[in-house]
Amino acid sequence: MRKQINSYVVFAFCVCSFLSMNVSAQKKEDPGKEYISLRYYNVNNNIQYLLLSSQVRKNSQVRPQPGKVYEIYMENSEPSNLIGKVKTDARGDANAVIPPALKSLWDSTAQHIFIVKQGEEEIISDYTVTKAQIVLDTATVDSVRNIKVRVNKWNNGSWSPAPDVEMKVGVRRVGGIISAGDEDTYTTDSTGTITVEMTKKGIPGDLKGNYILAARVDDNDSYGNLLVEKTVPWGTVLKPDNSFFETRALWSTRTRAPLWLLFMAYGIVISVWTTLIYLVILLIRIKKLGTAEQ
Amino acid sequence: MENSNVKAVEQITKDLLPQKFGKRGKIWTAVLVVICLVGAYAYFRQLKYGLEVTNMRDYVSWGIYISNFVFFVAISLVGSLITAVFRLSDVKWSTPLTRIAEIIAVSAIVFASIIIIVDMGRPERFYNLFLHGRIQSPIIWDVIVITTYFFISILLLYIPLLPDLKILIKNEKPGTWLSKLYRFQGSFWAGTKEQFRIGDKAINILCILIIPVAFSIHTVTSWLFATTYRPGWDSTNFGAYFISGAFLVGAGGVVTAMYIFRKYYHLEKYITEKHFDRMGKIVVLLALLYLYFNVNEYLVPAFKMKKSEEMHLEELFTGSFSGMFWFAILVGMIIPILILLFRKGRKPFPVFIAGVMIVIGAWFKRYLIVTPTLLHPFLPMQDVPVNFRHYFPSWEEWAIAMGSLAGALLIITFFVRIYPIVPIEETIIEQTESHEKADQ
Repeated sequence: MRKQINSYVVFAFCVCSFLSMNVSAQKKEDPGKEYISLRYYNVNNNIQYLLLSSQVRKNSQVRPQPGKVYEIYMENSEPSNLIGKVKTDARGDANAVIPPALKSLWDSTAQHIFIVKQGEEEIISDYTVTKAQIVLDTATVDSVRNIKVRVNKWNNGSWSPAPDVEMKVGVRRVGGIISAGDEDTYTTDSTGTITVEMTKKGIPGDLKGNYILAARVDDNDSYGNLLVEKTVPWGTVLKPDNSFFETRALWSTRTRAPLWLLFMAYGIVISVWTTLIYLVILLIRIKKLGTAEQ
Repeated sequence: MENSNVKAVEQITKDLLPQKFGKRGKIWTAVLVVICLVGAYAYFRQLKYGLEVTNMRDYVSWGIYISNFVFFVAISLVGSLITAVFRLSDVKWSTPLTRIAEIIAVSAIVFASIIIIVDMGRPERFYNLFLHGRIQSPIIWDVIVITTYFFISILLLYIPLLPDLKILIKNEKPGTWLSKLYRFQGSFWAGTKEQFRIGDKAINILCILIIPVAFSIHTVTSWLFATTYRPGWDSTNFGAYFISGAFLVGAGGVVTAMYIFRKYYHLEKYITEKHFDRMGKIVVLLALLYLYFNVNEYLVPAFKMKKSEEMHLEELFTGSFSGMFWFAILVGMIIPILILLFRKGRKPFPVFIAGVMIVIGAWFKRYLIVTPTLLHPFLPMQDVPVNFRHYFPSWEEWAIAMGSLAGALLIITFFVRIYPIVPIEETIIEQTESHEKADQ
């Protein structure tokens, strides 16, 4: 009997041990690996901002980390150099515009280091960007439209050409840029310049025939992300086709009901109500007959 | 001989004149008034706090109100069946039933119109429906058809009432409010041959007119659903399906009312067992017809079981609505058919029971047509609160719906108090004619 009880105790111990191992294994679940990235953007040479992206790789899946708080600094992590404290959104992204308070620091050198801290931990400490700008100009020679793009970098207190910068040059559309010429991307020459002939014809513009030319540098190791845009009247004039809305149809407005429906509906209504009016007249005749009788 | 005829006329008049409410009548009226008042209070709350007091949300935006509306429209169709179809078919035995059918039709169509306004969140904007309505929309067709049907039903109730008004004026003490009402409505009726001729002509025109309008009213109501691409509504069968159901519930309503009026006002001589027997046969025919359309409506989609229909049909057959669904099928159709198929089942009381079952079953059937479909759209919404996925009416919705049903019954109750529910003049003429035939 005692032997049997002992065997039950051993079995129960084994089960408990297995379960506790299982629980502790669950507790030591892989927290995943965080991926924090920082990108510098300069749009139309007047808005400079940083985009922080926070993601986690867990169980072979990369997912955004929403609601995470980070601090972004310029040059060093002194409180006076704080660009901003940011919180990631549902996509795991957070923006920080370089504030006017740091203008003197921004202007002081050509190159800047950006630092990202989470709590006391420095996550990114060596993201370096050299200040740069894009100048976009257009020229039409013998009916040939050219786009001239020049990339400058800030060097010793003045702008100097930035060679070997790869970029896209073309027409801005939803979701991207249609290249103006035959190449997908272009690289600046020793003078920091690219000249692209506009070979794409007949691109639709707006109601006045305008569309937006764009030159964009993506994730350059030195200059980050640069974008410049310019509106030009090179597109074909858009003529909105409202004929769809003007047709007489079941889905149109009340004034554009199909004629067959109008004839049918009003035909039925008029014939029925004419009969009803006739019946009221009959009723009046009955009344008159009765009044005369009395 | 002449003397006995006069006595018979006097007896018919005495039997069929409207009677004051007795104790039971007063209790009945009081109960209906209380239910209406509770409904009015619930509607006051709805006006004050908005449609939020209902349990209608983004999924079920047509709840018990629209079910009730469809029920009222359905039952109102009986006016065209009993009055128009029978009159045009020269069915003489239906005379005592015509006014019952017509007052049911009028009261139902009045409350169909009211309940549709109740369903609106901002009723003070109702006029916009007329100012900015699109003739392309089935809702506008419904507004037009309901207005027309209401007008025809009122005329069909009023014109045959004219000869009776003369009798009522004669038998009511002068100076009373009833006497004044009768005089206002029918003092001009002298009963001349010409008046009868014009009256008959008007009634015949109305009988012809009301049939297509009645068919339109319920077909258009069915199109409110069928023109919407949703599981359970996407059917070409819906017009006929709704009309057959409407005739059944209307006939069920008439046999129920026949029994109550017969018993309460002792009209056994006028609403006879023969009437119940014949109406019972008609109800069986209509129930079989409606059952046939139901088989079509559910069996064909169930045979194909398209993915989008599957969830809707499973909910009805075996899911959360299955209790109500099988109740509506069994109680609203199959059991009444089994009762009324046999001669004994067509006695007044079994017919009354079958009629009550049909009316109750029909009310739930309308609820089943409206609600389960709305809970299963083709494109389910994302991230909606859990309560959007279920629907059970709030107490305000129940109170308003029940208040509207009580209101319709109240109209019938007051009508019966004021006017004869069995046409006196027509009964006298028919009985005189039948005596003359018997004498020959």
